[in-house]
Order: sequence, then structure tokens, then C-alpha cells
Amino acid sequence: MQAAPPGVLIANSSVSTGSLPTRQPSRPVPPTRGPGDPSGGTPDPPAPRRLPTPIRPGAVGPQDVALIVVSALSSFCLVWVVFYQLTSLTGGLGFLVCWYAGFLALTWFGTSQVIERQVATDRVAGILVWTAGLLIIGIVIFIVAWVTYKAVPSIHWSALFTKDQRTLAASDPNLLNHVGVLQAIVGTLEQVLMATLMGVPFAIATAVYLNEVGTGRTARLVRTVVTAMSGTPSIVAGVFIYSIFIFTGVLHYSGFAASLALVVILLPSVTRVVEEVLRVVPSGLREASLSLGAPEWRTVWSVVIPTARSGVVTAVLLGVARIVGETAPLIFTAFGSQVLNANPLVHDQGALPLVILSNTHAAQQVLIDIAFQAAFVLMSIVLILFVLARYFSRTKSKKSGRAQPTEDDMMARYFLPIPIERSPE
Amino acid sequence: MTTYATTPPPPVPEDVSGLGHNRGTDFSGEAGQIDADGVHAWFSGRLVLAGVTLTMEKSKVTALIGPSGCGKSTFLRILNRMHEVVPGAQLAGSVRLDGLDIYGPGQRAMETRRHIGMVFQKPNPFPAMTIAENVLAGLRFSRVSAGDKGDLVEASLTKAGLWKEVKDRLGELGGALSGGQQQRLCIARALAVKPRVLLMDEPCSALDPTSTLRIEETIKDIADEVTVVIVTHNMQQAQRVSDYCAFFLAEENLPGRVIEAGRTETIFGNPTDQRTFDYVNGQFG
Amino acid sequence: MTIEFDMRPGGSVGVTPSPITPNRDYSMPDRIYRRGVQIAGLGVLVLLAAIGFFLINKGFPAFRVAGLSFFTHSGFNTLGHNPTFGVFASLVGTVEVAMVAMIVGTPVAIATAIFLSEYVPRRSRRSLIALVDLAAAIPSIIFGLWAIFELQPNVVGLSTWLSRHLAFVPFFKVTSPPLNASIFIAGLVVGIMIVPIVASICREVFSLAPPGEREAALALGASRWQMIRTVVIPFGRGGMIGAVMLGLGRALEETIAVTIILGGGFLYGPHILQHGGTTVSQFIVVNFGAGGKLGTQALLLAGFTLFVITLVINLAASSIVNRSRSGAGVDL
Repeated sequence: MQAAPPGVLIANSSVSTGSLPTRQPSRPVPPTRGPGDPSGGTPDPPAPRRLPTPIRPGAVGPQDVALIVVSALSSFCLVWVVFYQLTSLTGGLGFLVCWYAGFLALTWFGTSQVIERQVATDRVAGILVWTAGLLIIGIVIFIVAWVTYKAVPSIHWSALFTKDQRTLAASDPNLLNHVGVLQAIVGTLEQVLMATLMGVPFAIATAVYLNEVGTGRTARLVRTVVTAMSGTPSIVAGVFIYSIFIFTGVLHYSGFAASLALVVILLPSVTRVVEEVLRVVPSGLREASLSLGAPEWRTVWSVVIPTARSGVVTAVLLGVARIVGETAPLIFTAFGSQVLNANPLVHDQGALPLVILSNTHAAQQVLIDIAFQAAFVLMSIVLILFVLARYFSRTKSKKSGRAQPTEDDMMARYFLPIPIERSPE
Repeated sequence: MTTYATTPPPPVPEDVSGLGHNRGTDFSGEAGQIDADGVHAWFSGRLVLAGVTLTMEKSKVTALIGPSGCGKSTFLRILNRMHEVVPGAQLAGSVRLDGLDIYGPGQRAMETRRHIGMVFQKPNPFPAMTIAENVLAGLRFSRVSAGDKGDLVEASLTKAGLWKEVKDRLGELGGALSGGQQQRLCIARALAVKPRVLLMDEPCSALDPTSTLRIEETIKDIADEVTVVIVTHNMQQAQRVSDYCAFFLAEENLPGRVIEAGRTETIFGNPTDQRTFDYVNGQFG
Repeated sequence: MTIEFDMRPGGSVGVTPSPITPNRDYSMPDRIYRRGVQIAGLGVLVLLAAIGFFLINKGFPAFRVAGLSFFTHSGFNTLGHNPTFGVFASLVGTVEVAMVAMIVGTPVAIATAIFLSEYVPRRSRRSLIALVDLAAAIPSIIFGLWAIFELQPNVVGLSTWLSRHLAFVPFFKVTSPPLNASIFIAGLVVGIMIVPIVASICREVFSLAPPGEREAALALGASRWQMIRTVVIPFGRGGMIGAVMLGLGRALEETIAVTIILGGGFLYGPHILQHGGTTVSQFIVVNFGAGGKLGTQALLLAGFTLFVITLVINLAASSIVNRSRSGAGVDL
């Protein structure tokens, strides 16, 4: 070992001391963005120097790959022998489950022998976590693709959107030429539209109350109730509207009754998201408006809500995406119909979810096809609303750069009965 | 599998067998020497540190000084592979602990970090653990059985200058201590795994003067047994505690680099570079 | 009597000035606006009260007929002279479906949350989070459709194997095949459906875990998993418990996917792998319109039962989540 005389520490052997340091290389090495711009007016720039290539710490080595591959193969063989030969397993799913368990066990055992236990546990936990995440994402992608795959081949586009099911006869071989889901699309659109028109103003007013006007115990109680209601079962919303209007004979089964049930579901969810959106509107804006002598209602109407507009739009879109697929409340309110009924105020009305529900258990393939067609239309509507909602929340956050809740948070909030508490810091 | 024991360019004496963990509860372990060679660092593709070559002598205290944003904390975090934890961070160059490249193939970050401990700017004890559990946390990670845990807790806390204050309340939560005590608890926690090098990233910047002095005493006490590298903005502190000093500077639009390095007396008393002189005499930064 | 001192300059001893009341004299439009949003806020209270009131009010005649046996008997015979009906089997089934769902869904959801907050590369994080959220937006009827056509045929094989080789576990015993349309399969679907809900909350709580402690653990030589166990999970424990309870609320109320799958009937017992089974919401949907006036009243009573159960669970859950979010911590 060297002695340590003064000056053993060598400064910048690669870049000459005291003079000018590294220049931008001709080929910037981390390609995402070029390193610092050297055009800062340096007096005597040295010759351009190539930067070293970044190293990749923690990269997977051949040993790691070998361990995983060996574990996968040997667990496959083991499980195959045990299950198919000894216990005669049926069904691929059980085999996959057992193979996976065997794979984890062997990976853990092998890694702890070859490397150490700490690494083995870390690796198995990582595999489990990746599996879970990719499983859910895989299921979502699969469902979307699967519904499309099952529905599209049987669709007659000319009939789907223009014909209702009044001529439905399962024995007809050309049924899908003249049967569509028009009555369900019309019903769903009318019900959702009415629910939105009734529910959204109510929800925004409640959110304004919670955020701008309400104080103390009452506001807290309202917030708690909004929370509790967003966890209310959707079937209860339907049964409630049934008990209050239809059971008592005030209304008949109708699209309007359905939209009332949907309001019960829409209201708490939209209220919660809008309240959060309003909360992040900077109070400086309000104070500026009030100090100019604007009345309170004008401040809210012309300053607060417009500032939060895209957040409100996102909240509404997500709310609509949720109620459009609700099935349980419609059973007790719209009741469903095979005949087009464009008047939402009287008589049974069709709806896309009800078409799916009533045809799922059908014996004839053609009826099942209709269920899939309705599912495809419904899913497309949900996907469009979902994409629009994300689009709106994204454009806003780019423009203002303000601490709007991200669309991820909004999504989470939307489907969850939790009020949003952000610590002030 | 490569351990630090199998490649011994500098003659590393005796123990290294069990990664230095089974050395009993005294701190007679070997300190280590770090050689950094041509270290570059990027954040999201932006070069922040270029071509730093520096040796941190065994059993000495090396202070890294320089204005904010000159890359000294980044350099410090590269020394125990904490840099790669930051999303978008990249690096190049080599760092050798007693001759073995910690970024070499097959080297695992968590093993490196057991040998090169770190104390952060903001005290960060685990709030849900008791004081004793905090001290033993590192051992729990590596699943090493430390002879007598009570002795180890006492020895570590004593080294960190905290034993007398907390010996009767080892079962209390770590978060219940004051800021200065928490920082010393973090030092004890880092020492309990018997590292060869201890990195300190502005350990006193969040503390009051009394706690700062206590920690400076601690640094002097432990320097025989563990090499210390400390980042500090406080010139007096650098002068008080360090044997060697390295001055980092990032000039306008350029990445940070080492301007001058050497014995602390030289850097503060008779620097060769004008910028070093200006900085240590408070002319800028 | 105490004498109060006015410490302000010029204040006189013994006289406490009354605080000035700011002028609350709102203009007419402002008064209308304030009253309007107040009505909306109170409207929510009225709405919740109305749900409870009308369900119990319209359902009470059924309770008068059946009494407490509504909760201890099973069946739906409301048309004869001697009506017997009750939701006991449905309550058991509801709990069984929810238990299967929680056992399947909770670990997957927590692992998914850890995946999204700790493992996913930064570049793809946003889109993966969007995909998991999309799972929450897919209507439950589509999940039901998927379950009956794709999931069930695959799971029946697994059920068969379980019943053959693990029949010593009471839950896996089968007394009367077939093995489709079972509580197990319904619970499996609901378990998948609650994953995005539980995962979103957990992910949010995990992402709030303090970075300083994460770095402390890593710098001590912890592996990523050890860091998660030492720092992230203890920090997020309260939020996780609340999230799981919210998932439970969702699992108890799920209607359509369960109704599509379940075979029905009023048998109850631990044999979750075999055909048949009922839940409260399935009971309401399946028997709707089939039992005359008394039957409808019984269904409203069942709806009230479900309403109360989920209300209690959701309130408890959200209070736990909020406490853990606000940083106060939860001792559980």
C-alpha cells in the first residue's frame, strides 16, 4: 500500500486541472438529451473529448438468466410428472398454477444456494409482484380484445345501429340481418343523458357547497354522507327508486325512472372528484376577484369553475363512463324492452346492459351473438369516455402546470368511496 | 460469486471472510480505501459530473467541498451505488473499494452498501422501529447473526456518542428522539454493520451547533476504524474534521468536476488554483 | 368576577370590547347562490336518509310477516297462504363470495400496487396505471360475460382437481356435482374486479412513503424487497387495511357478475366448489317480479339489509384510509 504523502489525491487526471473541462462530444452518449451546451463562450476550448459510455449497474448477468431458465424448465418437468402422471390433472389452468408455484420454489432454492438468501427472497418477491401486475393488465387487455373478437364477425353494421329487436326469432337463420340493438342504444343514451343533466348540476352545486360555502359540522356531515353514498350498492339505488316511485304507482317502468336511479350513483362520485378539483384552485384567484368587488356567486361562476373546467369535464366523463355500464339498477326501473321506445317518460325501455344480461344464458348462438354485439357497443362507449377523460385531464396539467390532481388520482377517486384529503404541504 | 475477499490487489489483512460482519462487537475492523477513476454522472441525459478521479485514503477523513449543484453529493452517492437508485441517473467510470471495482460484473449493490455505509442530510431513522431495532436494522437485512445483540447496540451507540442519552430508553421509537439524536442514531445504525467506509452527505446541515459539534467529535473518534468521506458546505467544519479535501466546482453550463484536491491544510492555506482560494475564503459560492 | 384587561393601547381596564362582526349582509344574488348550494348539500343528506327510509318503510310489511326469521330462514315462497321466505342462505353466500374474492383479490391487488409504485420502469408507469384503472371502468356485466364464457370453463378443471385431491379441506369437498356456476367461480370474478379498486388506493398510499427512509434502508444494504417490507408496507398499513375494507364493501354488493355466474337455489354450506349458491343481491335480482306484493316487499327488505351492511363497512373503511392519509397513523 502506498504511503500517503500530501498530494496523493489526484484531481482530474482525465481533465486537465485548472484549464477547461469536458466538451460536448460529437456523439452524445446518453442519447436522451445532449449534455451541457458548451457554447457558453469558453476562451480556450480543448479538443472535443469522447465521453465514456454509461455503465449499467445491476444488469442481469448470464448466471441470473441461467438460474431462471433452469428453474422454469425443471419445475415444468416436475409438475408435469406429478400432475399428469400421478394425479391426472384436468384443465390447463391448474397446471399453470402448479408450474408457477414450482418455478417460484425452485428459483428461491437455487438462488439461495448459488447466491444467497437475501437475493433469493428479493428475486422471488420481484417475480410475484411482476406477475400480479401483468396478470391484471393482461386480463384487461384480454377482455377488450376478446369482446371485440367475439362480436365483430357477427355484426351486420347496417342492422346494428338501425334495427331494434321487434322481429327477434331465434330460429331465423338470417336474424342478424334485421335485428340490431337500436332500442338499447337509444335507451342507454337517453337514460345516461337525463341522469347527467340532473346529476351533474346537483353534484357541482354540492361540491361548491362543500368547498366554498359550507363550514363546520354540517359540511363535514355532508362530506361523510357523500363518501358513504359512493359506496352504496348500485342495486340498492335501483331498488330505492323502485320502492319510492314504481312500487307506489307514481311512475311506470321507464327510462326516466332508470335515470333517477343512475343519478343516485352518479351524484356522490362526481361530487367527490369535483370537490377535489375545486379545492386546488388557488385561493389567490378568489381573493383577487372578491377584492375587485365581484359578488361571491360571480367569483365562483366566472373564476373558480372556469379555472377548474377541465377537471370538472374529466369528472363528468368518468361519472358517465361508470353509469353507462350499470346493469342492476336498470332491472328495477327501465325493465328492458325489445322494441324501440324513444319516449323516456312512459313504458319499458331497453338498455345495452340489459340486452347483454337477458341474452347471456340463451341457448341459441345467435342470441349470444347479440349479447356480444351489445357488449362491444357498450365497451366502446366506455373506452371512448375513458380516453376522453384522460385527454382532458392531461391537456390541463400541461397548460397550467398547476397542482391539479393527476388523472391517475382522479381515476382512483372516481371509483372509490374515499373523500380526498391532501395535506396542505 | 465474487466477494471482496477474492480479489486482493492491496493486501487486505485477515478478516474479510464473513464480509466483515463476524468481528465481534468491537470496532477494530479494517477501514477501506476508495479509488474513484474517471467518474461521470448524468441525470436524465444531462452530464452533471465529469471525469472525477479521486482517492479516499484509508482511515482518513476526506471532505468534499464546493458550491451547491457542483456534483459532490452525486459523487458521494456514486461511491456506494446509491446514485443508480435515482430514476434517470446514469454513470460511467470505476470505483474500487480496496482494489475491487464495486461496479464490476457480478457485484451486487446491496453488498457494496453493507461495506460502504451512508448517513444522509436529513436524519432518517425508521420511525416505526425502536432505537435498538434501528441500530440492528442493517444486520436484519443481511441476516447476519451478530454475537450478542445487546453488546453491539451498546458499542454502536457509544461510538456515535448517543449511548448515555438513550441507554434507558432503547425500547422507545426512533422517531421520538430530537433531530441531533436522530442523526447520531443514524450514524450508529450505519456503524453497526461495520462498514469499511462511511459516507456522510451534509450530516449536520439540519442540526443545531451543539449537535453539530457532537457529530464532529464522533467523526474524529471513528476515523481510525472507518474511512470517512463527508460532504459539507461548512468551511470551518471541513477544516476541523478532515485530513484531505477535494474542491468541486461546476462552472457555468459545464458539468461538475474536481478543481483541486489535497491535504486540508494545503487547500485552505495555500491552494494552487485561484478558484479554490476564492471559494475557501468566501469570495463566491 | 374576573377583571379582564384590554392590552391594546388606549384600552380601558375592565371593559372587554366585543369582537366586530364582519358585515354578513350578502346581496340578493349572493343569498340566492348560497342558499342554492346549501340546498344541494342538504339534498345529499336527504337522499341518503330517503334511501334508508323508503326501503325499510316499503319493506316493513314483509318483516311483519316473517319477523326475525327473515334473517334465519332461507327461501322465497311468498304466494301461498303460509309464506316462508328469508335471506339466510343468501347472507351466507354473500359472505362466502366475498371471502373467496378477498382471499384471491387482496394479495394480487397489493402486489399490483407494489408493482405500480415500486417496480414499473418510469417510462411505462403512466400507461400501466391507466390500464389498471381501466379495469375498474369495465362494466361488471362485461366481467360477467367474460367469466361465464372464458373463466368458468378453465376453472372447472381446477375445481375438479381441488375436489379430488384436497377434499379433506371442508371447503373443497363436493357432495353434488357439477362444479360450474359455483360460489368459488363467482368469488374468483369478484376478486378480479376488486383488484383495481384496492390497488389504486394502496398504490397511492405506498407512493407517499418517505423517500428518506427508503434511501436509509437501501444504504444499509437492504434489497428492494427488504426496503419495501421495512419502509413502504409499514408506512402504508393503515391505507392498506382501509383499501381492503373498501374492496370488501364492493365484493359484498357486486350484483350482476355474481348473478350471471351463480346457479341459485337456497342450499348453503361450506362446499363452495359445487353448482349453486345465492347472495343477497342475486336473491333480489332473480326473485324480482316473481313473488307478488309480499315478495317485492321482501326484496326491498333484503335491499335494506345490503344497504346497511355496505354503509357500515364503507364508513369504517374511509375513516381508516383518511386517518392513514393524514399521517396520523393507525394502530392496528
